[in-house]
Amino acid sequence: MATFLLILHGLLAVALLGGITHQAVAVVWPSRNKVGFANAYRAVSSRVYVNANIALFMVVAFLGGVIYPTYRVWIRTYLENARLFSAVGSFEIKEQFIAIGLGLLPLYWLVWRRPEPAGQSAKIAVTLMLCFIVWFSFIVGHVLNNIRGFFGL
Amino acid sequence: MNMIEKLAPVFAAAFAVIYIVSVELNWALFTYHPKIREWGWLVEPSRNGPTMYWYGWLVTSALGAVAVSMLTLPVLKSRPPQYWLGWIVPLIVMVSVFYLFRGFFLR
Repeated sequence: MATFLLILHGLLAVALLGGITHQAVAVVWPSRNKVGFANAYRAVSSRVYVNANIALFMVVAFLGGVIYPTYRVWIRTYLENARLFSAVGSFEIKEQFIAIGLGLLPLYWLVWRRPEPAGQSAKIAVTLMLCFIVWFSFIVGHVLNNIRGFFGL
Repeated sequence: MNMIEKLAPVFAAAFAVIYIVSVELNWALFTYHPKIREWGWLVEPSRNGPTMYWYGWLVTSALGAVAVSMLTLPVLKSRPPQYWLGWIVPLIVMVSVFYLFRGFFLR
């Protein structure tokens, strides 16, 4: 069951990664013409991603919380015995970032719902912070999931 | 909507600060013992195997942030929404996380 949930967690994380990255690029580096892949990528209506990103963030975090005990009992013990403390530390940082990201979601929803000039910098900042959190968490999770292969253990 | 607009930045800032303080001082509202699949109130020592406080820290932070948001409402009523507060404070907390967990990378 944990394996199924881990794969589902990873697949939904890929969808979230795509959504938040697309939105972040479109808000930081917008484009008006859709000629070519790069311009078309930047010219999307970034607001349409908000609800999907919030839902995906919450579902991915929830699934991560469900499979977390398996990591804590079996995987972390293995990593500590293998003296892979940087891997353990990376996961600890990921855990804290996800929590901070959950706290940012109401503001993220608000600044995209009410596009006021006063909230423009907050909109860009919150979107970039969530984008960073998702990328960081995805890479750490991916490396830990494949750590025996990465370190030849 | 106007109230939410004023509260959301305060909530984000308060959540991040209370969360990192909860992690450092271990203010977990409950503890999970994953090996025996048991829950306990507040911070408990290990019953058997490792203990998990993350869920407890999240709930502590969420309740604390709601309380702080409500308490600051009278002050915020006459002011425009402080959007900057909602991202600068969490950003500082995120940077501090790297510092607080540096021990894992220095062994």
